[in-house]
Amino acid sequence: MSNPWIAIGALALVGVLIPLSMISVSALLRPSVPEQGKRATYESGEIPTGSSQQIRFNIQYYMVALLFVVFDIETVLIFPWTVIYRDAVGALGYEQVLFPMLLFLGVLVAGLAWAWRNGAVQWVKSPRATRQLSTNNE
Amino acid sequence: MVQLPTWTALSPTLLLGLTAIVLLLVDSIDPDSSNNELLAGVAGLGSIAAAATSVWFIVAGTGLPAENGELISLFDDQLVVDQMALFFSFLVASVLTLVVVASYDYMADKARQAKYYSLTVMAATGMSLLGSANGLAVAFVALELASLPSYALVAILKTNKGSVEAALKYFLVGALSSGVFLYGISLVYGATGSLQFDAVAAALTDGVPAGILGIGVLMIVGGVAFKTASVPFHFWAPEAYEGAPAPISAFLSSASKAAGFVLAFRVFATALMGDAVLAVVDWVLVFQVLAIVTMFVGNFAAATQENVKRMLAYSSVGHAGYVLIGLAALTGGSSDAYVLGSGMMHLLVYGFMNTGAFLFIALVEYWDIGRTFEDYNGLATQAPLACAAMTVFLFSLAGLPIGGGFFSKFNLLMATVRSGTWFLGAALIVNSALSLYYYTRVVKAMWIEEPASGLEIERYPIGLYTAVLVAALVTVLLLPGFDAVSQTAETAASLL
Repeated sequence: MSNPWIAIGALALVGVLIPLSMISVSALLRPSVPEQGKRATYESGEIPTGSSQQIRFNIQYYMVALLFVVFDIETVLIFPWTVIYRDAVGALGYEQVLFPMLLFLGVLVAGLAWAWRNGAVQWVKSPRATRQLSTNNE
Repeated sequence: MVQLPTWTALSPTLLLGLTAIVLLLVDSIDPDSSNNELLAGVAGLGSIAAAATSVWFIVAGTGLPAENGELISLFDDQLVVDQMALFFSFLVASVLTLVVVASYDYMADKARQAKYYSLTVMAATGMSLLGSANGLAVAFVALELASLPSYALVAILKTNKGSVEAALKYFLVGALSSGVFLYGISLVYGATGSLQFDAVAAALTDGVPAGILGIGVLMIVGGVAFKTASVPFHFWAPEAYEGAPAPISAFLSSASKAAGFVLAFRVFATALMGDAVLAVVDWVLVFQVLAIVTMFVGNFAAATQENVKRMLAYSSVGHAGYVLIGLAALTGGSSDAYVLGSGMMHLLVYGFMNTGAFLFIALVEYWDIGRTFEDYNGLATQAPLACAAMTVFLFSLAGLPIGGGFFSKFNLLMATVRSGTWFLGAALIVNSALSLYYYTRVVKAMWIEEPASGLEIERYPIGLYTAVLVAALVTVLLLPGFDAVSQTAETAASLL
């Protein structure tokens, strides 16, 4: 009986060799046409503006992502709870099944209320965007 | 006496968590204005309640084994409430109290106060929970609960470049070592098949994959070294302590360090104790090397500083080295409980004297008279009471018999004697002697040097003064009252 790791090793070898050989074959066969446009950042056919070195995105997406993670994890914890809820209440009674979840949700609601009141879910517009909007409306 | 339900044994931690939520709710009601008295009052009351509950439980014998020999364990053995957990929740809560009282003045005219207080209390909740953690998964979650607010707290003075830079350095090293720690946990889990400390210990009695376990244990050592600011993950400490607001430096260097050590005590003394592990990777030897290197690095670096806060930061690294003796002298045998206990005693005493010293720095920052040794010249002519308190802290840190630091260092020395690790004791003595040099520089500047012309202090903030004086009082009282501490610590350590 041969060692099964030989097959895995061979697979890994092939996995490395195929891309390497493709790159080297195409490097040998292709014509070389240096051209300025090839160096530009590809933006779905649009002419790129600014440098590609600075990643520019609205920092407020970060807030949304953070709140999303919180509620995502909350969902993950609530789903299994809802599935077993009926049986669990039958076996253990309300105080052991319902109250811990209510406590958990209460903590999250307190956090959300705080974030809401402090403007985490408020979409602030930059002064420039507000200016442009007002000139368009006139 | 009324028998309380079992879950109330977690009261100190739960009270801290509740306080953090109440602080958030208070801020939700009126986020635009910050009511300093109300916020500091709520945080202070919550932390005093947590500290008082811990003392009450320790005195009532909550963490001691019941008649059937079982400790209080909750959530399927994921959390355990023993004397060690209560000891450390008392430590964290009392340091938090001092820090909150001092912050009342320090943060009075600063922005983001509600965030400041709630983050501080949340970090304390994590540290207190870490003392109860009885499994690697819970320990990691508690560690992150303690760490993430700390990063934000170091950067709380958003417009101060030093504060932001310190926080970034702290965060980068912290994220790296969290990753290292987590990877270590996964390897130990891979080797033993369980995360709970007792189950890990049980799995390790018979044969285990040596390579995986060895690397896992070393990585856990790395995670612990970060949290306790020991070599090789100590680089963040001087930067973070110097850049952070001084009350936060006090909090991080005392409570956060203690939390790192309680994690180490539990992981290594409960889960990874035994010949099977030591044959694979001799972590006692690793800690011996780390303890000696940490002592020397911390103290020699402290001796060369010109900035008092930075000097205290390096001295804090040095003290991590002293407490590491509590792990490094675990040579097996009858002395182990005493060795662990002496580490815990030093952490408690250190919690008060070091917090006090950093709060004195906070007082000096409040007066805005500069940061170097020269700036402290003749300070005693203006503020003799605070300077007397600072003198108590510094001499107690050095180990002179003026505060509890004398007995705790003496116990560490006795621990090295009893366990036969004489070289650790030698390093302790050499470094304590060296530390006396740089601590005395501050004392000399304050009391003997002539004050610079124009040195005048107009404001004597009541909160900062109260915190500094209470810390000094406790440091001195720990000298006659050391027996109570040492008995509790030894009982707690023997239960592990």
